[in-house]
Amino acid sequence: MIDHYDWEGGREAMLRFGPSTGPVIVAALPLFEEANRTRTFAVTILRALAERGIASALPDLPGQGESLMPTSPSILTLQDAFQAACATFDRAGRNCYAMGIRSGALLDTYAIAYGRWHFAPVDGAQVLRELTRVKQVEVGSSRKLGELWYFDGEEDALVEIAGNLISPDLLTDLKVKSAFSIEDAPDIPLRTVRHETDAKAADLKVPGAPLWRRAEPDNDPALAARLADDIADWIRACEG
Amino acid sequence: MQPDGSLEVENAVRAVLRDVLGLSEERAAAFREETPLFGALPELDSLAVAGVLTELEDRLGILIEDDEVDGEMLETFGALARFAQSKALG
Repeated sequence: MIDHYDWEGGREAMLRFGPSTGPVIVAALPLFEEANRTRTFAVTILRALAERGIASALPDLPGQGESLMPTSPSILTLQDAFQAACATFDRAGRNCYAMGIRSGALLDTYAIAYGRWHFAPVDGAQVLRELTRVKQVEVGSSRKLGELWYFDGEEDALVEIAGNLISPDLLTDLKVKSAFSIEDAPDIPLRTVRHETDAKAADLKVPGAPLWRRAEPDNDPALAARLADDIADWIRACEG
Repeated sequence: MQPDGSLEVENAVRAVLRDVLGLSEERAAAFREETPLFGALPELDSLAVAGVLTELEDRLGILIEDDEVDGEMLETFGALARFAQSKALG
């Protein structure tokens, strides 16, 4: 069902799935273009979780999805809004868990979460590097982009990368953002899942292709079911 | 250079193109040394080029500098595979 949540900048839509009691996991899609490429996949995971008796929510964050916010928000704004979406459930007395896909894992830092489940998390510096690479391919090899290329335009001018308008301040912000790590709070459960083809460490490795790199949005229902099994087992273990 | 390693890297390049461009198994398997890539595959736009390079880095554990990226290296499947082999196998 389509619900909403309030944060200090306004009201945003939030898709909700599953039972209206018990623990709930709130999902954050990756930033920018990757959000479009993973949205259907994320919704498939959340529907599969509902079939397994676990509630979930997918909030539109400011500037994303159906949000009416016209400008490019800062990372802190996105973190604030995600925290507000989680707080909606916390106020209702429900244990809230956070789920982050790729750079979505950067957004749950301030959420009151009983645990965090991350799929293929990346840090902000890596996201910035990938965006710079896309821009470099767009402008061609005759013009080499410098390190702070996104400040080359007029003051406060948004930069366009693959059709997305992004503020230079957000790109600066990205550089120093990392996903929540176990050192931040050893007592709060954190589970990291990655593809088998990804060399980085993870609690679980799963087969399949990274949908966030696909040129056209695609889905992988078999993988979504596998991940829903993992999330459901993990939440039940956390709830003891 | 180990012949076994070369084939492994070539297969990784094939898998990355398949996964990033959403190609069928058959289409990716049909790539030959001289198969043209950039400009010939409609799926391979600027966003996809960046995705291919980044995914190659992740899977082969290599780092590709932006000044190493030029049209030549993306011209054919063989050229891209040779580039990846030189990075991964030294």
